Amino acid sequence: MITCADFMAEIGNYLEGDVADEVRHQLEQHLSHCQTCTVLVDSSRKTLKIVTDTGTFDLPESTFRPIAEKIMARIRSGEK
Amino acid sequence: MSYFGEVALGSSFQPFATFQEQFGFVPKLFRAQTLLPRVIQAECALISAILFTDKALVHTQKECILLVLAAAQQNAYCLTLHYQMLKLLGVAEQRLNRIVTDYRQADLSPATSALLTLVFKLGTKEALQEASERGLNDESILEAILIAGLSRLLCTLSTGVGAVPDFAPRPIPSVQVPLADSDNSIEFFRSTPKLPEDFAPMLFLRNEFGSVPKVFSAQTLRPDILQAEADALRYLLLSEDALSRAQKRDILLAGTDLETLRERGLTENQVLEAVVTTSFAAFFNVLQTGLGAGSDFAAKMPTKNAHLSAPEQRQTTVTTSVDPDAECVARVQGGDLNAFEELMNRHSQRVYRTLVGILGNPDEARDAMQDAFLKAFQHLAGFQGRSKFSTWLVSIASNTAIQRLRERKPMESLDESAPDEEGFRPRQIQAWTDDPEQLYSQAEMRSLIENGVMKLPVKYRVVLMLRDIEQLGIEEAASALGLGIPAIKARLLRGRLMLREALAPHFIPSGNKRSAQGVTN
Repeated sequence: MITCADFMAEIGNYLEGDVADEVRHQLEQHLSHCQTCTVLVDSSRKTLKIVTDTGTFDLPESTFRPIAEKIMARIRSGEK
Repeated sequence: MSYFGEVALGSSFQPFATFQEQFGFVPKLFRAQTLLPRVIQAECALISAILFTDKALVHTQKECILLVLAAAQQNAYCLTLHYQMLKLLGVAEQRLNRIVTDYRQADLSPATSALLTLVFKLGTKEALQEASERGLNDESILEAILIAGLSRLLCTLSTGVGAVPDFAPRPIPSVQVPLADSDNSIEFFRSTPKLPEDFAPMLFLRNEFGSVPKVFSAQTLRPDILQAEADALRYLLLSEDALSRAQKRDILLAGTDLETLRERGLTENQVLEAVVTTSFAAFFNVLQTGLGAGSDFAAKMPTKNAHLSAPEQRQTTVTTSVDPDAECVARVQGGDLNAFEELMNRHSQRVYRTLVGILGNPDEARDAMQDAFLKAFQHLAGFQGRSKFSTWLVSIASNTAIQRLRERKPMESLDESAPDEEGFRPRQIQAWTDDPEQLYSQAEMRSLIENGVMKLPVKYRVVLMLRDIEQLGIEEAASALGLGIPAIKARLLRGRLMLREALAPHFIPSGNKRSAQGVTN
C-alpha cells in the first residue's frame, strides 16, 4: 500500500503519463481512497490545461517589429 | 596552443611550481587552462596525491600504466607526455616502444604486468582475482585504479582543451590489450576501513551530494586521496564565475555533450569549465567501475574522439532532415540576411518567453531580445545542426538572460537549490470547480496565470515557461538549459505545484473554502 508521500514522489511522472503500468495501477489504487491526492491530481491537471490553453506571455507583432528592425539594422551595418 | 586563450600566471602560482618540480616543465595541458586558475588547482591537488606521492606503487610503475592507457585511448598528447616522463625516469626508448605496443611481451616485472592487466579488465572479479594471485595487495590495487581514473581525466582534458603535445608527438601504435572474459562485475572493493564520523572530506561530500557517493566510501583505505578528491571538488564547484555550482554538479552526475557547448554561445570560461568538469566526471566514473561502487558519476564522453575538436575536424551528425529551420539556417550561413529575419520571425515568441521566464520582467526581456538574436547571428556560422536550431536558439537566449540576471541580481540563481527544496508540501487541497476556464474572461485568465508564473522562483519559472507555455519537450528543454533531465522534471513539477497553489484560491468554489492543511499521511 503506497502512502501520500510515495504518491507525491511519482506525481510528476504520473501527470506526464510517464509511469509503468504496474506503478500506474498502484497510484490509481491510492487515488481511489485518498481525497487529498485526488484533489492534487485534478487541480494540477486543470492548472496545466489552463496554462496551456490560455495564450500567455505573447509578444505582440507590433512590439516585436521595431525590435526586429533594430536587430536587422545592426546586423546589416556590421556587414558593411 | 589550444582551443583556449592563455593568461600569464605569476611564477608564484603554486600548481605551476609543483608541475615544474615534478615534470621539469609545465605541460601545455595546464597552460591551456589558465583562464580558470582554480581548475588547475583542482587538478594539481588530485595529481599530486595520486601520481607524485609514492605509497604502494612507485612513480615509474604509475607512468607505465599511464603510458599504456594513453596508447589504448589513442591519445597522442598523453602518450607523448608519459613517454617523455618515463625517458626522464631512465627507461630506454626501445623498452618503452615494446611496452606501448604490447606490455605482455615487454619483460615487465610480474607486479607491473599484473597492474596493467588489472586496469584493462577494470571492474571485473577476474581482474581482482588475477591481481591477488600475483600478490598485489589492496593498496596497490586501489592505486592502480586511481591511476586508471587519472589517465581518463588527463586524456579527456587534453582532447577537450585541444592541447598540442609538449614534445615531438609519438606515433600511436596499434595496441594489444587483454580483455576480460566476461563482465562479471564486482560488487564492492574489499578494504574499506571506517573513518571517523567527522572526517572533513566526507562531511563536505555529504553536504555537496546529499549523501556520500559510494565511490568515495570505497576509498577509505587512503584518507589522503579522499582529502585530495574533496579539495579538487571544492576548487571546482565552489566558485561560480563561469558555470554555476548546480550546473557543474549536473555535469558530474549526469554528463553533458561537450560537442554542442561551443555552439550554444557559452563563454570560453564556461566551455573550459564544462570540459574540466566532464574530465572529473570521467575520473570518478572509472573509479566507480574499478571499485564496483555504484553509478553516481556519468561518463557521457566516449573513450575515443572525446574532444571538442576544431571546427574543420568535427564530425557532422547533421540532423537537418528533422529540423524545419535547416534550410533557412543554411541560407543565413550562405550570407542571406533576409533568411535570418525569417528565423527571427519564426522564433520571436519562443525567445521572448525564455527571456521573460528567466528575467521575470517583460520590459527587460524585450530589451534582451536584441542581445540574444545578435549573439545567435554571431554564432550561427559555427552552428552545425547537432541540435535543432530552435533548441540552440533557446539556449542562447537562456544564457543571455542568465548573464543579465547575474549582473542585476547576484543573489537570485537559476540553478541553486532552495534550502526547502525537499520540504515543499501542497497547502491548498480543496477541490477545484469543474470548469475553471468558464469563471473568468480570457484576459482575466491570462492575467491570473502571468501573475502566478511571475511569482515563481526563476529556476522553476523558466522550466515551466519552456515546457508548459512554449511546449518544448522535456529533452529539448533540458538541452536548451544545459540541465539534466531529472533536474528539469523535478523543477517542472515543483513549478506546476507552486503555480497550482497560487491559482487555487481563484478556482475553489466559494462555499468550499476552508483552512489550509498539508498532506500528512
